[in-house]
Amino acid sequence: MIKKMLSYYNKKLWRTLFLVFAGVLFAITLGSLMNIEVVNVLKQKIPLPLQLLYAELLGFISPGPRYIIYPLLIKLHEFGINIGVIVALISGHVLIEPSTFFVEAGFFGFRFPVKRFAVSLVVTYIAGAVTVFVGKFL
Amino acid sequence: MMDKIKKIGIDIKMAFLLIGISIILMLIFKINFTQLILDNSEIIIKIVYLTAIAMGISTAIHFVIPEDFAEKHLRDSKLTHLFYATLLGVLTPGPVYAIYPIVIVLKKKGIKNPILVAFLTGQTIIGPARAPFEIGFFGLKFYLYRILLALIMGPIAALLFIFLSKFWPDKKRAD
Repeated sequence: MIKKMLSYYNKKLWRTLFLVFAGVLFAITLGSLMNIEVVNVLKQKIPLPLQLLYAELLGFISPGPRYIIYPLLIKLHEFGINIGVIVALISGHVLIEPSTFFVEAGFFGFRFPVKRFAVSLVVTYIAGAVTVFVGKFL
Repeated sequence: MMDKIKKIGIDIKMAFLLIGISIILMLIFKINFTQLILDNSEIIIKIVYLTAIAMGISTAIHFVIPEDFAEKHLRDSKLTHLFYATLLGVLTPGPVYAIYPIVIVLKKKGIKNPILVAFLTGQTIIGPARAPFEIGFFGLKFYLYRILLALIMGPIAALLFIFLSKFWPDKKRAD
């Protein structure tokens, strides 16, 4: 059993590390283009409800494995972006993405991912909005 | 050659695409690769060891939860079942491409679409393998809050799916 687990772990680890490497490289490259001035301008010009919407839409269209978003989130958090926006981004990034949309359409017909996209849009927005209010306790 | 490329998983293809985009961005914006790595070395090291821990948690859960667990416990679209599906999703490790085979098997066994939506929502929003990352970067409170949020979001997503399906039902697929 332990041997089986170790073999499974070994196989998964290297594959995941490669995916993580690609994602982190992408994230830190994007992160290096972000600066506090740009984020401050965005914060001032875009009202919070719209920031939530943009965050989730940005999450939906962002490709790549789940772990890649963390370097970006850390940077956004450091720049003082509202925790609700971070939750909207993190949830939006994983709930549905372009590639899984087509995978789901292939397996279940296109109505399934279209409805899941609509539903995800609503629940992610709710999650972000709720977090804006409870964020100070986190 | 083309056959070999076709056999490569979509996640690996996506990874190569991301590396390609990163290289293009570095060339366009004249980003120094060595400096980029040095500036972010702390985060990179943290992510590497958190990934190793995350894979350890995923492996343990993969061997602990029986394969037929979902099939046994998720037959109807009752609220409690939607909650169980979300909880099961939260507990299921692995990248999203890896869980589609599970979802397809569940579908073939007659599990209804709202249950699958709750499962997918729970699985994608949070998972055991995310614990090291979220606790490491944002703290335990944040991670626990995200679990709670996922457990609420899953059933809500499924209920909204049921509501939408009343106006726009899923087509039955002949396969």
